[in-house]
Amino acid sequence: MIDSILLVDDEDLFHLVFEDACSLLDMTLSLQALDSSDEADKLFKKWFVEGPIDERPECVFVDLNIIGSSFDGIELIRKINTDYGNGVVIGIISSSDDNQEIEKAKAVGAQFWIIKSDEIEPRLEEFVKDYEGYKNKENPFKVYK
Amino acid sequence: MITSKDTVEEALRKAKAKKVYLEGNFVKILSKTLPADVKEYVEECKARDKNARRKRLDVTKQVQAQNKELEEAATVNKALVIELQNEKDEAEKLRDKAVEDLDVLQKRTQFELVGQIVRVALVIIVSVGIVSTTMYLVGLMMNRDTTLLGNAWTNLIGILLTNSFSIIGTIMGVKYATGEGK
Repeated sequence: MIDSILLVDDEDLFHLVFEDACSLLDMTLSLQALDSSDEADKLFKKWFVEGPIDERPECVFVDLNIIGSSFDGIELIRKINTDYGNGVVIGIISSSDDNQEIEKAKAVGAQFWIIKSDEIEPRLEEFVKDYEGYKNKENPFKVYK
Repeated sequence: MITSKDTVEEALRKAKAKKVYLEGNFVKILSKTLPADVKEYVEECKARDKNARRKRLDVTKQVQAQNKELEEAATVNKALVIELQNEKDEAEKLRDKAVEDLDVLQKRTQFELVGQIVRVALVIIVSVGIVSTTMYLVGLMMNRDTTLLGNAWTNLIGILLTNSFSIIGTIMGVKYATGEGK
């Protein structure tokens, strides 16, 4: 089980889908959902500068295109990995499967890419199985199709 | 009611008696070493919570799918509206062009009519001029009294000359308007 998860996605309905899917799969006991990358950026900045750093979530799922935000999911991952000390399992959850975007995400340190669809549970289930590998930085980047 | 003096077990028993079922991840962190009756209640809560979440997940997915369909339909509608607007604009342009052409055609017909009238008038004037001049010349050659004929011829030629300029001017104008001169 993942200790705590942060979801950054502009679609409120997906927050509900993700929360219920996580609960049904017993993925985590603590899930926080944000709808903008700016909010997530503020939180990570606060945790990194002021602490406590252990308040940070263990795993972060970021949407690729976050409408209403100053920057997209890839830029958020870059900021977390480069500016805010890394230390979290982080990746993209998006309906897009654009190879160029996937390569960009990989380049900024994303560890996984989960494709959103009606049947998200099997992909999350597979992700949970691989999770320890991501946590220990042993698993290579993977796309869950 | 559950009070602060109640232990977790007592609180859970009270909730069970009231048929109040716990929901969410809190149920998952309750100890697995609870007495059998309380454990049974906790398991019931978990099952109910799972059932409710499954239902909610299905409904949310349906709503999500419907939203997606609506968004797609809205995009198609928007494209259709733009297409219709373009076609309307095109039709309006064609209508304006047709109205303009009709106007030009009507004007041309009118000018052509005026042109014909003017040409006929010119023929009449020239004919009258030729006839009166011939009569005057014949009178002169035959040594007849041409006083009346001479005055009439002078007057007539004066009037014809004056009018000819106006008629020629009209003909030029008509030719220009009908585009014959091009």
